[in-house]
Amino acid sequence: MLRIDTFIGLLAICVASSLSAQTQAAGTLRGKLTDPSGAVVANATVTATNIDNGQTRTATTGADGGYEFTMLPVGNYRVKFEAAGFKTLEIASATVGTAQSVADGKLEPGASTPSLGDLGFTPDQSQGSAQDQARLDKRSRMLKTHQRLGLITTAPLVATLFLANGASGHKSTAEGRDLHAILGGVTAGMYLTTASFAIFAPKIAGTPTRGPIRVHKALAWIHGPGMILTPILGSLALAQKDRGEKVHGIASAHGAVAGVTAAAYGAAMLSVIIKF
Amino acid sequence: MGFLAVASLAGADGQWVLASSTLTYHVSHTLHESEGVSREARGKGVCQGGQCNFLIAVPVKSFESGDSNRDLHMVQVTHGAQFPLVSVRVSLPEAALTSVSIRCDVEVEFAGQTARYKDVTFQAVTKGNETRITGSIPAKLTDFKIEPPSLLSIPVKNDMPVRVDMTWHSI
Repeated sequence: MLRIDTFIGLLAICVASSLSAQTQAAGTLRGKLTDPSGAVVANATVTATNIDNGQTRTATTGADGGYEFTMLPVGNYRVKFEAAGFKTLEIASATVGTAQSVADGKLEPGASTPSLGDLGFTPDQSQGSAQDQARLDKRSRMLKTHQRLGLITTAPLVATLFLANGASGHKSTAEGRDLHAILGGVTAGMYLTTASFAIFAPKIAGTPTRGPIRVHKALAWIHGPGMILTPILGSLALAQKDRGEKVHGIASAHGAVAGVTAAAYGAAMLSVIIKF
Repeated sequence: MGFLAVASLAGADGQWVLASSTLTYHVSHTLHESEGVSREARGKGVCQGGQCNFLIAVPVKSFESGDSNRDLHMVQVTHGAQFPLVSVRVSLPEAALTSVSIRCDVEVEFAGQTARYKDVTFQAVTKGNETRITGSIPAKLTDFKIEPPSLLSIPVKNDMPVRVDMTWHSI
């Protein structure tokens, strides 16, 4: 039976051997990059790829043109040097051992790269503005809210129209008129909120108005005044009904104005939803 | 996005300028298919020592879809006010330009992000010192971290291929 001290000794030897093996399995690869005139090439990308297992490491040459990979597992490496204005240089095989290995590179000039300045764009075209972007972002947020509120407003609008029958004619009731009036008020309030997001969204100077948005904006000149006039005429009609009178005079236009307003509102929505 | 192919000048140094172009992006929405077109791209190419580098740039605001509201929304989601230009870089051996079907890697800088597309194929037709290049870059909105624009709270699809039709002149 193995004595405990012998066992511990053997175990220690095994661990030491393992650690020693790991330490011995790594080395350093360094070098210097220059151009044909001997000048150093700084800020070049150096890529070392282990040919056996494909693992890669990258480094950047410093101001002195030098680079270094430390703790690089021993083996054969493909070393690639890339720098703007130079052709890519690749060393097919560089052996990395436990001692320091050196792989220098001499880059050849490549084709120069055109710059944005060469293309002749004006500063206005090429320089961005965070302030302008913030203005655009605010505009988009407000118009998205306008879209969503506009959709939601459709619900009370349709309900108000649906309940119009209970508010007019011989079969109307006081409760029916009140409900119609309440829903009409809700519709008008939501409509004005919806409109305010579009009206007060930041305008972007120099932007022409083209396409379906022109129709959408034009229809606002119908449903906007209509949405103001409809509740006014409705109030007059409600008062006449409450007095037991037949709706007459200008109040009798409430239904027609409401219909035109609703139709214009629906058309405005369709103008930006459906591609004509 | 586009580059020059002139077999007779293979191996010689040269410069190229973009004479005319039509760039078209395409986005798909449940309710709409939209395209925006720009004809304001500018480009230059330099061939030296058997290697060619091309740069093409186009203002984001120059794309028009026929709907100014949509165009402005596209500028907003692509951060076009902060990064006003889309730029494209192509580097390839001059010898690769001699084919009528050219494959190359394309680097696109857009909305403050850079994306690389490998092995994009373009068709080249040469007449005299003019070469017309056509093809499509398989761009996606997520490649540039662009939040998809939406209509009625429904976003557009991620794919945004860009068709290119460019004519280059040697100078």
